[in-house]
Amino acid sequence: MLNVYLFQILNGLGLGMIYFLISVGLTLIFGLLNFVNFAHGAFFLVGSYLCYTLVSLTGNFWLALIAGPLLVALLAWALERSLIQRIYHLPHTFQILVTLGIALIIQELSIMIWGPVGKSIPTPEALQGVVRIGNFAYPYYRLFLIGFSALVAVVLWLLLERTRFGALVRAGSESTEMVSLLGSNIFRLFSITFALGVGLAGLAGVLSAPLRGAHPFIGPEVLGLAFVVVVIGGMGSFTGALVAGLIVGVVQSLMTSLWPQGASLMIYAAMAVVILLRPHGLFGRA
Amino acid sequence: MTTKTLDTVAASPGRRRFKGRLGAGTTLAMLAVMVLLPLVLPSATLATEILIFAMAALACNLLLGFTGLLSFGQAIFFGAGAYISALAMIHLNAGLIGALLIAVVSGCVLALGVGMLCIRRKGIYFVMLTLALTQMAYFLAYTLSDWTGGDNGLLDVPRPPLAVGETTLISFASPLAFYALVASLFALIYVVARRITDSPFGSTLLAIRENEQRASALGYDTRLFKIMVFVLSGGITALAGALYGMLLNFVPLSNIELLMSEQILIMTIIGGTGSLFGSLLGAGAIVLLGDLLSSIWPRWMLLLGVALIAVVIFMRGGLWGGLSSLLERRRGSHTKPHKEAGHD
Amino acid sequence: MTDVLLETRDLALAYGAFRAVDGVSLRIARGSIHTVIGPNGAGKTSLFHCLTGERRPTAGRILLDGREITREPPHGRVGLGMSRSFQVTSLFQELSVHENLRLAAQGIDGWRALNFWQRLNKRREHLARADEILERIGLAERAGVAAGELSHGQQRILEVGMAICPRPKLLLLDEPTSGMGIDDIPSMTSLIGELGEDHSILLIEHNMSIVMSISDTITVMNRGQVLVEGDPETVRSDARVRDAYLGEAA
Repeated sequence: MLNVYLFQILNGLGLGMIYFLISVGLTLIFGLLNFVNFAHGAFFLVGSYLCYTLVSLTGNFWLALIAGPLLVALLAWALERSLIQRIYHLPHTFQILVTLGIALIIQELSIMIWGPVGKSIPTPEALQGVVRIGNFAYPYYRLFLIGFSALVAVVLWLLLERTRFGALVRAGSESTEMVSLLGSNIFRLFSITFALGVGLAGLAGVLSAPLRGAHPFIGPEVLGLAFVVVVIGGMGSFTGALVAGLIVGVVQSLMTSLWPQGASLMIYAAMAVVILLRPHGLFGRA
Repeated sequence: MTTKTLDTVAASPGRRRFKGRLGAGTTLAMLAVMVLLPLVLPSATLATEILIFAMAALACNLLLGFTGLLSFGQAIFFGAGAYISALAMIHLNAGLIGALLIAVVSGCVLALGVGMLCIRRKGIYFVMLTLALTQMAYFLAYTLSDWTGGDNGLLDVPRPPLAVGETTLISFASPLAFYALVASLFALIYVVARRITDSPFGSTLLAIRENEQRASALGYDTRLFKIMVFVLSGGITALAGALYGMLLNFVPLSNIELLMSEQILIMTIIGGTGSLFGSLLGAGAIVLLGDLLSSIWPRWMLLLGVALIAVVIFMRGGLWGGLSSLLERRRGSHTKPHKEAGHD
Repeated sequence: MTDVLLETRDLALAYGAFRAVDGVSLRIARGSIHTVIGPNGAGKTSLFHCLTGERRPTAGRILLDGREITREPPHGRVGLGMSRSFQVTSLFQELSVHENLRLAAQGIDGWRALNFWQRLNKRREHLARADEILERIGLAERAGVAAGELSHGQQRILEVGMAICPRPKLLLLDEPTSGMGIDDIPSMTSLIGELGEDHSILLIEHNMSIVMSISDTITVMNRGQVLVEGDPETVRSDARVRDAYLGEAA
């Protein structure tokens, strides 16, 4: 019985790390660029499908793991240069509507390319099978998922805390005046941050593909969950995205066996309560 | 959080007269469209669907176009109106008027609650709150599958006749008769909404959209106005939802989904925010496009994405904005072309 | 005994440990132009926020005509006879100049503005009031233009015009000349002077030549407290005032 709970908690941690990867990108973009990206879920989708294509072409998951997120980031970079950059100055309402349009376009294009039926992606050979500790068994791939995303979180943290790029992003998120002092470099900083944030959503898409496959209509669901995590953690907060991502993941996982719709209901209720009572979330700045 | 539109500025006395003519003109045009729709279109059912969504878009426009509130909550009222009226007919044996009235009242009450909660926050937090509440409504409807049919939808929704006691006055079984009912309700709502937007209340909504802080400093209790417009919008949207259930004889779960909110928003924006006639244009264009294209090119929604981006970036006035500036040019008006997209 | 219109008693506004307003007691006489000046960070704007209701004071009271209004929200103060202008121009940019003023006049309707069944032209008094103010502030020729299309100077004038639309007992003006060009300032000065003939005005202003020429009473604030109060002559010659301003320059 205890093993069942342990199993669910580990699953929840994995799910939580996926949520973290999606949300941290969203929160970085909001923090620095003050930009609301409703197309974030759609990029997750692209990540999953790229994983499918790369794995079926080369049979190599590791290649997909590296190339997939990079391609998504490249796509985001191109989109930022051509379109997103023009709407930073618009009110949030307009940003939401434009990115909603982008999400719709990406979703429909994905269906044109990959068809309306979902695709499944095999677990990489090296990570098939289960780990056994006593009478407890747990799939290798799920363990890898937790470990790998934890590694990404550490690297990301170091990037934000220990590098010049990170210092600029943090300074920019603190105050817009700081950003304007950067002059012309600011556009490069914005492009890179946008590509990085969206690339992380792509990475989450790749990582979850062997577990959940790739589905054309998953975008809005992913976006909704990412907003739950970002709001509960506090908009713009790295720590918030991590903690809230794990909480939401574990709660959802524990409740799937009991009452799955109840889990979603509860999660969105929590989001509403947080906005009403503590709009800056658990870790956001007041 | 403002949405600039063409409909709002009377640039000169000449233009003001023009706008007055245009206002009366759109009411006539609207009536003409309603008579012609079922004649021109392949089916009266399609025409009915257009007017139902035009109703929902018009209600959404009161929030977005006139008050500047971008809400993802419209599906709550649309879905609730559909479910509640259907349940009232199935379980309480409610008649036509009863079912529609129950839908409107429950839409108003729900919107009162949703509005009172959501207006406590502004900007992006307001948007997030409406999003969270819509998701809650969806999962609630999903969970209460004994009542709503869950994923399968609520089946066997009747389309009752207009009756006094046991005597049937008008049956709406034929598509054209039901169209006539929906068209009359739409006309009524359109005229009422026009009157409301031209009232002190309506003018204050525009003030709130333009600059809420200033409106408040001028003595307006802006929260009260925002709650009122929520209630109005919720009631109309719920009516549209109830009619949609009667049209399909079925309430799908997708009625209360976030995507329904998005669809209504897209119709409103593409039609033209801040213009009631624009809502009819937007709903008409999108429902028609869907009907024409979905069989030959199932990915037609791609166009909606492109149109949405184009309208926000290049043509804030939407279809209505484009149409009315065209009309104005045709009249050879000497007034300076109106600055459309505000100060950008 | 002067006739006091607005009174604050030991008003305080603290942000954490920082006391932006620290025990200010003001008495504004009916019919006077009363100006609050002080170096940057003296607490003028925080005081103003307490008076308009944007901030709730942490201690003290505000009385208008002897009536307690300390907890009244911003919109509630208009009906009681207070009206304000903004330091950063705050108009309904997309609406016409005339509509800006009409909305300003309609604001005192309170609950009646919720009427959604009346036609606008039934409320003739608001239309007439807007026309009257248009003449008074000299913008009649631009009545139909969107407010956002006015020149900056004209926008500042409209800003003040909107504040007088509700016929307030007390007019609160927050740096009306802020951001105005040298050429536009005289017209604003004369407008405020004229308004002073039939309104009581509380003015916050940086431009010393205006302050000295039109004020009846000047209150000098420093570090959240009242430093000196008196007529322009008294204030001009007070050594403490010069010190406070020199302190700012240093």
